[in-house]
Amino acid sequence: MTSVTANSPAPDQTALSDHDWQHRLDKIASDPRMTESNIRAQGAIGKLGMPLLLVGVIGLVLTIIGAFSMSGRHALAAFEVGVFTALAMSLGSIFFLLVFHSLNAGWIITGRRVFENMGSIVWFPWACLVLVVIIEMASGGVLLKWIAGPGDNYLLNKKAPYLNAGFFIVRVLIYGAVWIFLGMRFAGLSRQSDDSGDRALGRKARFTAGWGILLFALTTAFAAFDFLMSMDYRFFSTMWGVYFFASCALASVSAAVLVLAVLRSRNKLEGLVTEEHFHDLGKLMFAFTVFWAYTAFSQYFLIWYSNIPEETMWYTYRKDNGWMWLFAFLCFGHFIVPFLIIIWRGVKRNMLLLGVMALLMIIVTAADMVWIIRPMVYTDKAVLDYGLTDPGIAGVWLDAAGLLGVLGIWGFLLTRALEKGFLLPTKDPMLHESMKHKNYV
Amino acid sequence: MSAMTNLISGIADYAPMLVRKPAPKFVSREGNRIYGIVAEFGETPAVYKAAQAVRDAGYRRWDVHSPFPVHGMEEAMGMKTTKLPLIAGGAAICGVLFAIFLQWITSGVLYPMVTQGKPYAAWEPFLPITFELGVLFTAFACLFGMLALNGLPRFHHPLFSHERFYRVSNDRFMIAIEAEDANFDPDKTRALLEQAGGDHITIIEEED
Repeated sequence: MTSVTANSPAPDQTALSDHDWQHRLDKIASDPRMTESNIRAQGAIGKLGMPLLLVGVIGLVLTIIGAFSMSGRHALAAFEVGVFTALAMSLGSIFFLLVFHSLNAGWIITGRRVFENMGSIVWFPWACLVLVVIIEMASGGVLLKWIAGPGDNYLLNKKAPYLNAGFFIVRVLIYGAVWIFLGMRFAGLSRQSDDSGDRALGRKARFTAGWGILLFALTTAFAAFDFLMSMDYRFFSTMWGVYFFASCALASVSAAVLVLAVLRSRNKLEGLVTEEHFHDLGKLMFAFTVFWAYTAFSQYFLIWYSNIPEETMWYTYRKDNGWMWLFAFLCFGHFIVPFLIIIWRGVKRNMLLLGVMALLMIIVTAADMVWIIRPMVYTDKAVLDYGLTDPGIAGVWLDAAGLLGVLGIWGFLLTRALEKGFLLPTKDPMLHESMKHKNYV
Repeated sequence: MSAMTNLISGIADYAPMLVRKPAPKFVSREGNRIYGIVAEFGETPAVYKAAQAVRDAGYRRWDVHSPFPVHGMEEAMGMKTTKLPLIAGGAAICGVLFAIFLQWITSGVLYPMVTQGKPYAAWEPFLPITFELGVLFTAFACLFGMLALNGLPRFHHPLFSHERFYRVSNDRFMIAIEAEDANFDPDKTRALLEQAGGDHITIIEEED
C-alpha cells in the first residue's frame, strides 16, 4: 500500500477490499434495525402530505384573492416571506450536504437523507422566485422598484450596471442552475448508491462539494442581495449575504430535526437516529442561533455606530413605522429564549423538546423574513402613489396565507420525496459509523 | 463523610494553619493515616468489569487509572455528569450582569458624556463588552472550577508513595478506593477487589 501524501494523492481503490466491503454490507443489511418497515416512510408520512397540500393550495388561493381584493404589493410580500423561508430550508440543506461531504461526516449518515430530500426540492422555491421575477417584470416593479429602469434617478443610474432587468434575469437563472444541480446531485448520488452500492459515489459527491461550496456561497449571498436587499435600492450592507445564510443554516437544521422527530414519533428510524444524533443536530441549532444573532447584531451595530443616513434609514424606517415589536420579538424569540433553552444538554437529547424548539426556530426565521420584507409594502411613497392604506391587524390573514401557502406546498413536496426510496442511504461507506454514533460528553 | 468534612479536609490540605484535618477513619500500625486500597489489573476488560463490580458494591470515592482513555468507563464506574457547566453558567450570568452594571453606572449615571452624538446609556455599545466579560468569566470559571473539582493543584498525592503505581502510565490498570468512602472496610474491600480479579492489592498509607 502506497502512503498518501500531498504529492501522491489517494489512489482510486479504497483500503477496504471488495470482499470485506461485501461483508460489511451484509452485516448492515442483516442488522435488526434495518428492517423494511423501519427504514421506509411508507404510510408514516404520506398521511401528512394531503393536509399539507390542502393548506398550501388554500393558502396560495387566498393569497391570489388577497392580491386583487386588498393589495398586490401586500400579497407579493406575503408570498415572498413564504418563499424565502422555504428557500432558506432548502438552501441550508444544500449547505449542510456540502459540509458533510467535504468533511466526510460519518455521524449524520442515518439522518442525511432528510437533508438530501430538502435540498432536492429547492426547485420549488426557485420556481416561486421566477414567478416573483415575472410578476415584477410584468407590473414594472412591485417591490423591486428598480426593475422598471433607472429613469432620472441619480442613484439608480449609478447602480444600473448591476441593478437592471436583463442581468437580474441572468443571475436568477444562474442561481437556479447551481442550486438545482447541487440539490439533485447529492440526492441523486445518494439514491444511486442505494441501488448499486458503489463506493466511488461518495468520492464523486465529495468532489462536487469542493467546488460547489464556493458557488453556493456566492449564489446564496447574491440572491439575498437581489431579492431582499434591493427592495430598498438605497440600502447596502456587506453583511447581508451572511445574514441570510445564517437563516438558511438555522432553518434547515431545524427542519431536519422536526422531520426526524416526526419520523421517530411514527416508529421510523428506530435505533438509527437516536438521541445522540439529536444531540449533535441540537448543537448545530444552538450554534446557528448564536450565529444568526451575531450577524444580525453586527450588521445593526455597525450601521448604528457609523450613523450614515443611507444605511440607518433601513432601521429608522422600521422604527418609525411601528415595527419595533417585531424587533423585540426577534431579539427574544430568535436569540435570547432559544439560547437559554437549547443550551441545556437535556433539551438537545430530548426528541420532543428539541422538535418543539425546531418548530419555534422555523417560525422565527419566517418572522425574520417578515421583518425584512413586510415593512416595504406600505411605504410612505406607496401610500401616496397608489392610495394604499395599511390594514393593520386585519391584513394578517393575507400574510399567514402567503407564508402557509408556500410552506404547505414545500412540505407536501418533502413528504413526497421522503416516501420515495429509503429514509437513509443504506449502502453508504460510513453508515456503520453513524449506526453506533455516540457523544462521549 | 459529609460535604462539610470534605470541605474542611480540602481547606486543611492547603491551609493547615486555619483548620485541622478531620481525624482519619483508619490508621496503620505505625499510626499513619490510611489513604485507601489499590488493586492492579492487566487488561482492559478485566478493569472494566472490576469497575462495574466496585460501582455495584456502592462505592463513591474511588477512581480507575489507566494508561489510555477507555470508552464507556464513566458508565462502568457509574460516574455522573460533571457539575462544571452549572458553575460556568452561573459565572456567565454574573459576568453579563457585572458588565451591564459597570457600563451603565459609569457611562449612564456617574459620568455621562456625549460620545459621537449617541444616547448616554445606549445598549448597543454595551453588548460587545457584555459578551466579552461573559466569556471571560465563563472561561475563568471553567478553568478554575475544573481545577477545584479535581483537587488541583497539589504537591503530592498519597498514591505516588506506592512504587508500583507508576506503571499506571505504562502497562497496568489500577483501581484505587479511598478509605474515606462510607463503605470502606480494609478486609471487605480487599475481598471485593480480589474477587474482581485484581492483584498486588495494597493498602496505601499517607506519610507526613
